[in-house]
Amino acid sequence: METGDRKTIGSELWGGLVWLAFGLWVTWEGYTIGLGELHEPGSGFAVFWLGVIATGLAVTVVVSALANPSPSVSSLWRDTRWQKVMLVIALLLVFGFFFERIGFIPSAFILLIVLMRVIDPVPWTQALIVSVGSVLGVWFLLAKFLKIQLPAGLLAPLLS
Amino acid sequence: MDVFSSLMHGFAVALLPINLMACFAGVLVGTLIGVLPGIGPVTAMALLLPVTLSAPPEAGIIMMAGIYYGSMYGGSTTSILVNIPGEAASVVTCIDGHEMAKQGRAGPALGIAALGSFFAGTVAIIALMLVAPTLARWAIAFGPAEYFSLMVLGLTLLSFLTQGSMAKALLMACFGVVLGLVGTDAITAEERLTFGRLELLDGIGIVPVVMGLFGVAEILSNLEHKLGREMVKSQIGSLWPSREDWAASRGPMLRGTLLGFFVGTLPGGGAVISSFASYALEKRLSKTPERFGKGAIEGVAGPEAANNAAAGGAFIPLLTLGIPPNVILALLLGAFIIHGLQPGPLLMVQNPGVFWGIVASMYIGNVMLLVLNMPLIGMWVKVLKVPYPVLFPLILMFCIVGVFSSNAAVFDVFVMVLFGLIGYLMRKFGYEPAPLVLAFVLGPLLENNLRKALILSRGDFATFIERPISATCLVLAALMLIVPLLPALARKREVIALDSES
Repeated sequence: METGDRKTIGSELWGGLVWLAFGLWVTWEGYTIGLGELHEPGSGFAVFWLGVIATGLAVTVVVSALANPSPSVSSLWRDTRWQKVMLVIALLLVFGFFFERIGFIPSAFILLIVLMRVIDPVPWTQALIVSVGSVLGVWFLLAKFLKIQLPAGLLAPLLS
Repeated sequence: MDVFSSLMHGFAVALLPINLMACFAGVLVGTLIGVLPGIGPVTAMALLLPVTLSAPPEAGIIMMAGIYYGSMYGGSTTSILVNIPGEAASVVTCIDGHEMAKQGRAGPALGIAALGSFFAGTVAIIALMLVAPTLARWAIAFGPAEYFSLMVLGLTLLSFLTQGSMAKALLMACFGVVLGLVGTDAITAEERLTFGRLELLDGIGIVPVVMGLFGVAEILSNLEHKLGREMVKSQIGSLWPSREDWAASRGPMLRGTLLGFFVGTLPGGGAVISSFASYALEKRLSKTPERFGKGAIEGVAGPEAANNAAAGGAFIPLLTLGIPPNVILALLLGAFIIHGLQPGPLLMVQNPGVFWGIVASMYIGNVMLLVLNMPLIGMWVKVLKVPYPVLFPLILMFCIVGVFSSNAAVFDVFVMVLFGLIGYLMRKFGYEPAPLVLAFVLGPLLENNLRKALILSRGDFATFIERPISATCLVLAALMLIVPLLPALARKREVIALDSES
């Protein structure tokens, strides 16, 4: 196992540093929002003290990471299919971008087909049947039966 | 109104067609969620929360509660047949349940799991019905200081019981409270931590946060490796346990029920802890502990009874104090608030229909679950055969639909993806999401009670230690913070530490 020494910074240390930055930022935000007085705490009172506590806890994580070497960040992803994870995140972001523009039915259909064919490919017929059936089923159940609005997008003239 | 007439009123509410349907839908989805590995009750409840908005509050809450205790039932099926726990509380059922299945005794294992769950679930409801009104009367005396200290205790206890470093768990709790404070300050109407985004003025929604941290993050973690499933090939056979099985299971079921109910009521406790505690207890009490791990039916009966009793017991702090003891009930608290209800000591007085309706629906739900779990095992086994490459895109689509429909805002979909990534990274770096979500829900209440207590005491912090209940809670919380510093006790903590939803 590749551990964090002087050459590689361990994952624990990186994690601690991120939370240290977070704690300091929250402390500063709380201070700028306004602490108020003890008998009448302001909007930033709890935020400030949470930031102080988070900073203290992050310091203990950092100190512990410096004392005990931990696996390097890259080793956390060794022998994993991290590219597939990144691809799914990217696909979800693209889906979010097009969701309202082209509508639920086309965007969800494309998302399902791509996920089923690209990540761990399933046969085309199975992918098509599941995608069409589930998208139409969900749309019918939510939009028609439960009256929950989903964007119609490109299919608005057909669905109305 | 005495308990009996209140319960009758509850049955009148629970037996309304819409509430019966909600109860059935809840336990059916709950069982399905319990059966399917890779999607837990938190995700399922978050997913269906928007669906409940169009229904009356009673129906919505009854359905959400049904998903919770339904998932406890369904989780055992996957544990026994596939050796993959459908939800975290069934992890321990894998040990002996799957061994029984490999020995051709899947039927009695599934049968005792369902019957033990039914017994424990029913006892827990009776106890809930008897304990809750008394506790609620007592809780009326709670002031802001008591509420604040109790919430601190709950968060500390959950952090204490979470796997890994306690500093990291507490960091997650701090992060959760900060997230809960995003938006407009309820007292001064001042904007906080919104980055100038209008979408954040009302705060971050619980649905996208929970869906991201549990639903999307779980899928991302699962995708790192191909999931293999070792399904038991032999016939399941008769589900009805033999006379010997009954004799061996009676004691564990009874002890599991008592233990589970007690652990379930504790802030930070829950179904997962109680199932492990029950397994350890049965192994210790057994005259033949060497059979455990090799297909001992006691190892199925005790933990299954315990996790179902805990699911019932967990409703006590929520319904009487308004404080969720674990992350799943935190989501249920979110559902109450979205429906315009405030669980707590006054719920029974102001909304008796809701309180007693939920209690009565749990009796009905338990019977429905027995019917669903005993004859429909074959159907659940078929569900298990759905391959993960087909299942995960569907779960993602349901997550997106659930998040979007909760607020009709695509911004929430992006929030969910962001928290999915955060949740995935948290798992990689050893940070648990459960304290974060509980703190996120409790955050605004925690801050509100802290400020109210300080205003009432004119800025005197002594108010938190002068009041006995508040002082007790803070002392207990302080003890839990000290324990990890003592090496011998820290090792014990590692043994019992669990994530309530991983």
